[in-house]
Amino acid sequence: MTLVSFDPVEGLMRLQGELDRFFGKPLIDLGLTGPNVFPLLNVFTHPDALVVRAEVPGIKAEQIRLQVEPGRLTVAGERAGGGQANLSYHRRERGSGTFSRTIQLPRDLDTEHATADCRNGLLTVRIPRQAAAKPRHIEIRPA
Amino acid sequence: MTTQELTPKEKQEVQGSEQLQAGRYYVPDVDIGEDAEGLWLRADMPGVEPDKVSVELDDGTLTIQGEVSLQPYEGLTAVYSEYRVGNFLRRFNLPQSYRYDHERIAAKLVDGVLEVHVPKSEQAKPRRVPVNAG
Repeated sequence: MTLVSFDPVEGLMRLQGELDRFFGKPLIDLGLTGPNVFPLLNVFTHPDALVVRAEVPGIKAEQIRLQVEPGRLTVAGERAGGGQANLSYHRRERGSGTFSRTIQLPRDLDTEHATADCRNGLLTVRIPRQAAAKPRHIEIRPA
Repeated sequence: MTTQELTPKEKQEVQGSEQLQAGRYYVPDVDIGEDAEGLWLRADMPGVEPDKVSVELDDGTLTIQGEVSLQPYEGLTAVYSEYRVGNFLRRFNLPQSYRYDHERIAAKLVDGVLEVHVPKSEQAKPRRVPVNAG
């Protein structure tokens, strides 16, 4: 089911419903068992690729080290403390520090052609499926 | 130099009065600081485009909102989820809001972080009081 709708409210509610279905359920193929390491991940499929997404607000692409190899993906980096000096804080909720997370990848992925972008605090990694792994349309020869 | 690790946090849904628009709203994490110039606020709103935020100071209440973009989800089917996705909303009572210059509130969104500056009006800036000896 594709998650697109002309009405943004309906589209968002459908996306939330989709994510609800999988929230809290493990994804064994990727060795994912729950939200216990930063950054938290949502995983999607596309006909041609596996898409792994993480929220990394305040972290620029240059501050992220992303490594993809057959069977494994590692995302690491640091979020700087930032902000002005000499501020007296009322609230301090956002945190700063280092992170490093590794997940397994299914073997039918073309990791050599993985791409990633980081936009508006959202890191998206796209790992295409190997050409052989995609369903092939087979011509049926007439008798 | 911080060497601590970032820990994952679960998003909290907004409690209290409901919004007109349906869909879940989440509370963005904020840092709020103050200096002689005014208030400085940073709120984490990943997935929000810069033209989809609003900042309002009305009647002593500072409201920050961000609408999350659905464009990154086009053509995708979810198979696993560790974090929720939704719009962001948070309200703060600003005591003595008359001390702030409503006209000069500045806001920008960079890398999914909303940065807001609420400057103090000139008269409200703290004045050092000389202490006379004697």
